[in-house]
Amino acid sequence: MTGLYTVLCVDDEALGLQIRRALLEVAGYKVLTALDGKAALSLFEDNEVHIVLLDYLMPGMDGGRVAAVMRALKPHVPILLHSACVDLPQETIDLVNATLSKGEGPEMLISRLQLLIDASHVSMGRNQ
Amino acid sequence: MNLGDFRHILRQAFYVPLFALIALAGIWLWQVTSTRQAQLWLDHSDLVSAQIAELERRIIDQQTALRGYELTGDREMLHTFDSRNSNIESQFTYLRQLISDNPQQIGYLVRAHDAYLIWLGFAQNVITSPNPTADKSLAYRGRDLMTVVRQAIRTLSEAEDKLRKERLERAITLERQEIVLIIIGALVVGVALSVFSMTRLRRVSKAYQRTLDDLQKSNTEVYESREWLRTTLRSIGDAVIVCDADSSVEFMNAVAEELTGWKMAEANGKPLQQVFHIIHEQTREQAENPVEKVRRLNTVIGLANHTALIARDGTEYVIDDSAAPIRDKNGNMIGIVLVFRDVTDQKRKEAVLIANEKLAVAGRLAASIAHEIHNPLDSVANLHYLIARESDPVKRDEYLNMAQQELTRTMQISRTMLNLYREPNVPITVDLKELLEGVLLLLQRRMDNQSVKVQQDFQGSYVVEGFPAELRQVFANLITNAVDAVGNDGRILIRMRGLPAEEFRGAGVSVEIIDSGPGIADQASQKLFQPFFTTKGDQGTGLGLWVSMGIVQKHGGNIRIENNNDGDLHGASVRVYLPVRTLATPASRTTAHVD
Repeated sequence: MTGLYTVLCVDDEALGLQIRRALLEVAGYKVLTALDGKAALSLFEDNEVHIVLLDYLMPGMDGGRVAAVMRALKPHVPILLHSACVDLPQETIDLVNATLSKGEGPEMLISRLQLLIDASHVSMGRNQ
Repeated sequence: MNLGDFRHILRQAFYVPLFALIALAGIWLWQVTSTRQAQLWLDHSDLVSAQIAELERRIIDQQTALRGYELTGDREMLHTFDSRNSNIESQFTYLRQLISDNPQQIGYLVRAHDAYLIWLGFAQNVITSPNPTADKSLAYRGRDLMTVVRQAIRTLSEAEDKLRKERLERAITLERQEIVLIIIGALVVGVALSVFSMTRLRRVSKAYQRTLDDLQKSNTEVYESREWLRTTLRSIGDAVIVCDADSSVEFMNAVAEELTGWKMAEANGKPLQQVFHIIHEQTREQAENPVEKVRRLNTVIGLANHTALIARDGTEYVIDDSAAPIRDKNGNMIGIVLVFRDVTDQKRKEAVLIANEKLAVAGRLAASIAHEIHNPLDSVANLHYLIARESDPVKRDEYLNMAQQELTRTMQISRTMLNLYREPNVPITVDLKELLEGVLLLLQRRMDNQSVKVQQDFQGSYVVEGFPAELRQVFANLITNAVDAVGNDGRILIRMRGLPAEEFRGAGVSVEIIDSGPGIADQASQKLFQPFFTTKGDQGTGLGLWVSMGIVQKHGGNIRIENNNDGDLHGASVRVYLPVRTLATPASRTTAHVD
């Protein structure tokens, strides 16, 4: 069922990203990974992505800027901001669909992801 | 009026009356001489008149003798005639001498003499005639001739009488003149001298009055300036004690009275050390007498740090003080002014500020640390989830291995974090290289976000004594400043060098943090180490450098900040010098002990 959905996972921590990919694949998602904003945007443009799991603190281009570009490219794709950062700027929080602190645990991550995907489908179905 | 003028007036007061009196005496002398001269001429006239009378008498006697002879024919009668004859000639000569000054009188005398000679010729004829008694005509003739003689003598006599009258008048005039001159002269000179003396005395008295006024005025000024000074000192918020060169207290203001517990009246004249009893706050040793210290250094001094004042009632105040010498015109020290204030509260507040700054450093690092710890924790949680669902042992080992890596990282970060607080009781050996790497690890995330590149230029060994947590705080602060200054894509060079011992400095280590930022503005460079000075607006506490300087100085080192001109980084260069042998003591540890 869930194998249908593609998650774009963006984080500058290589090991953390590798583990998250394994986790999400076990949970039944197709996973794309990017280590920085630029790579993420190119993957986002070239592939069908159902949800973006985005880190905030990244060298070069932070999560806020990446989210803004993604919104401009494909506004309907939900973005879950997933960060250990305690003082996220309000404009970024307003831009993304939801935020999730790192360390909340894998179950919480998976359920939040699925919730957002379902919600986007409902709204898309309503649009069609 | 100066002394010269005064002496001039004294000379005038002596010489002017002297010369005036001499002149007056001269005039009087001349007048007296003139009067006397007139008297002499009068006497002369009297003498001349008497001699004329004598001459006339003798001539009449002679004539009488001749008449007797004519009447009697007695030759005996002629005896007096002859003797008289010669005397008459001498009388004429004498008279002529007497009136030699007056040609008119000489003329009269000559005429009388001529008439007399004619009569005498007639008389000789009578004497030689054989019978003079018979001829009556002879008698008549003789009488006529004698009349001429007597007429001439009378003329002479009258002229002399007239002359005498004139001379008498002149003498009287001169005498009157003399009296008038004496009176007027005495009056004029007297009045003139009085006026002169009065003007001189008035000048002297005016000058004296002026001097008195000046003295009064300067007395008033001295009093006013003294009062002014006293009021100023009294109303100053700091305590002020003034004492003389022998350390005797001369003045204290109210604040000083309150702090020392001595009243001004009691303390007056007491030795300074009794009233102002100061010790070293920590060693409890007697502090050097400020008077001696000022005398020794001969300049304005700030007393040693950690000076405590023990008040009369035993209360102890931490004070901040300075002492300045009071010098006389020749530059000799005649006393000192001590200014001090109670900084007990201030020290307490500073301690609170230092603690606050520690928290602020930790706070600034907290976000970074939370991120650092949450990332691996997140991974460990994920791995736990995966391992629980994984049946392939190879994969499970791989996950466990990954979990181990993430846990190691977490522990390393948490240890570094804890090291910021955990502090030994005594200074220990600190490897600065290790310490700096730990600090950089904590700041790594922050620097990565800004793409700040750090170049480490370390040579040699860098072991110093000190309190590692405090030094970590210093370097975290300095490197954070550099990261703030360089902005995105900046560069930071950390250069560490061992320094050999020099004359005024022991062997140590220099850590230089050079950045590619904009450098330090001139007006900011003076205030960098003052508390609450910040260039970061609301983002900074303004305490970082102040606390860092305090920590480094306590270790016996120092911090210098300047703009870097060396190499390709043109921002600020912060150089920290730390001695190998620290001056810090267990008592000077500012960090609370955390076990």
